[in-house]
Amino acid sequence: MAGVGGGNDFQWCFSQVKGAIDEDVAEADIISTVEFNYSGELLATGDKGGRVVIFQREQESKNRPLSRGEYNVYSTFQSHEPEFDYLKSLEIEEKINKIRWLPQQNAAHFLLSTNDKTIKLWKISERDKRAEGYNLKDEDGRLRDPFRITTLRVPVLMPMDLMVEASPRRIFANAHTYHINSISVNSDHETYLSADDLRINLWHLEITDRSFNIVDIKPANMEELTEVITAAECHPHQCNVFVYSSSKGTIRLCDMRAAALCDRHSKFFEEPEDPSSRSFFSEIISSISDVKFSHSGRYMMTRDYLSVKVWDLNMENRPVETYQVHEYLRSKLCSLYENDCIFDKFECCWNGSDSAIMTGSYNNFFRMFDRNTRRDITLEASRENSKPRAMLKPRKVCTGGKRKKDEISVDSLDFNKKILHTAWHPKENVIAVAVSILVSGLFSFIIIVIIIIIISHTW
Amino acid sequence: MMVARGMKRKLYGSDNGGGSVWESQLQSVLDISLDKFQRDQALVEPSLLRSVLITNTLRQVQSVVKTHLSGVSFHPKLHTQPKKQPELLSTLGSIPAGHSASLCSLGVEDMEDDLMAWPSEEDLSLATAITGILNDLDAALDDDCGLSVPQRLPLASMENLPGDGRSKQNSTISHKTDGCRASILGNSSHMSNYLQEAVIDDLLLDIDTNVFEAEANSVSPCAFSFPADQLVKYLPPFSNSSAVSLTPASPPMVR
Repeated sequence: MAGVGGGNDFQWCFSQVKGAIDEDVAEADIISTVEFNYSGELLATGDKGGRVVIFQREQESKNRPLSRGEYNVYSTFQSHEPEFDYLKSLEIEEKINKIRWLPQQNAAHFLLSTNDKTIKLWKISERDKRAEGYNLKDEDGRLRDPFRITTLRVPVLMPMDLMVEASPRRIFANAHTYHINSISVNSDHETYLSADDLRINLWHLEITDRSFNIVDIKPANMEELTEVITAAECHPHQCNVFVYSSSKGTIRLCDMRAAALCDRHSKFFEEPEDPSSRSFFSEIISSISDVKFSHSGRYMMTRDYLSVKVWDLNMENRPVETYQVHEYLRSKLCSLYENDCIFDKFECCWNGSDSAIMTGSYNNFFRMFDRNTRRDITLEASRENSKPRAMLKPRKVCTGGKRKKDEISVDSLDFNKKILHTAWHPKENVIAVAVSILVSGLFSFIIIVIIIIIISHTW
Repeated sequence: MMVARGMKRKLYGSDNGGGSVWESQLQSVLDISLDKFQRDQALVEPSLLRSVLITNTLRQVQSVVKTHLSGVSFHPKLHTQPKKQPELLSTLGSIPAGHSASLCSLGVEDMEDDLMAWPSEEDLSLATAITGILNDLDAALDDDCGLSVPQRLPLASMENLPGDGRSKQNSTISHKTDGCRASILGNSSHMSNYLQEAVIDDLLLDIDTNVFEAEANSVSPCAFSFPADQLVKYLPPFSNSSAVSLTPASPPMVR
């Protein structure tokens, strides 16, 4: 049915392109994670070079009432540096795997950023005042001779240019043997979990020298290993509940009240395999690359290679909704296995009201699914089409037979252009997608897309 | 069905349409998986998720081949089992690679006249070859070459095996199954016998033997042309601790 409430329907258009310009881009600029904070005012991106860039939304001004606030660079800092593990002769990459914001409790902002081995808590604070008129030192910082001071004065706070400082407040290290793939802040705002391929640890934000291991799936004999942890997340409301997904397409929900070590799950979510579509690649494409709870806490969404599934936490035997992202790739799995694309890990995200979900695909396409109307749309995040406020035209992939005008055939898709990292503003219809194109000159940029309401528009 | 890019497509007989396509896909998956498995072993720190997925795929291929050889029809187009050969097949399925060589040669000769309800001689020997390799690979996987902190053994050298007319191909096969294991050295004599009988050309088409010439010609494991700091990783476990203590910190490995 057409949109509810007077036939409103949504059209997406470009807002901004942020990031490095073609010739200047290096591999270190490739964006590896994107995350809005709780209010949506700040957008954090992490890249392969260990840097974090935070964008802040401009306040809407009366002069330009129709233009939504643009995002501008707020702070840039080097979060992680490359390290070398001398014991194992291994280099530890500085690539930021995940960023998670903490809920804001005072004027400062806090976020957790992690690479393969170390998690850091960063404080981002503003300074727009400076004290002047110290007694013991001059304005340029030189110490005054105390015996020369004849009068006392009270230092005065003077305004200064806004300075945004990022400082590492905690470093949580040496707790993971394998590569960290997820971090998730708990709803109690005091603890968080970190997950690697085989273990999940629970930390307290104030304590860095200790963490509790709550899940350990490492077998006594590593030869028996057939399954690894791929993602983990805390429940948004119940601080004792978390889920983790596996490479075999299963999700386990655990309750920390049940036992100190949550190796035994409380719920086990798995969809029975469809025997008619079984192939050598069935297991690989069932591997879950991302798991996200809905904001309501009632549902969770998982992304595997070809589809997105929405699960009701009360029903373990199958998902309640399944959305095909790019089913036309099913016949190409052998090639995708050969060129390693089958191992790509796509993320997925909910909108603020849980009525729509979004995920990325190849050829710089991203897909949005409306859960209520069951409509879906494919859009392209392309630098060429990136005029501000330019409407995004829906794209379609031709799966066989005669290719219509404006359709693109499966064989013309560029598998080097993939959208792996996406984020949806928690309150508004603003999306950030990270685009990276692996060609001889590397690109990396993010595109922020904004919504315009069009009355009585049909897709 | 998708055949991997770069794979040569065989021209099979017209009565073998469905079975050959399936087998060529099986071979594609096997070749690609083995290639990835090997490349990951060469990395200093392979991704655990990737290793597990590739290993599971290889195990799947192995079980499919074993099922095929034991006479149970996996592919819908392969229908009735030939009456003559069930015992041979079940024997092939259950006997380790070392002993299957002589049975394989017998089976091939006997079946030359029986092409109707039976895979071609080429297909059977291909399948047998796959089985042999997979059995050795199984031994390699069971010894956990890739899933723990790397403790690699030198690649096996084949120069002491009988029947050295095929030494080059022998060493290629051993490298293909990632001869980082002591067990490979044990199996190598079996392999040389069986390779003399089996048709292995199909499996070796895409292997660049130039890469392996160094290993084939070396007299001892220590004579590889690796830089010293890489060589340390390839020393056997009993000398690993002493080797590590003597080695200066290696430069960062490129991933």
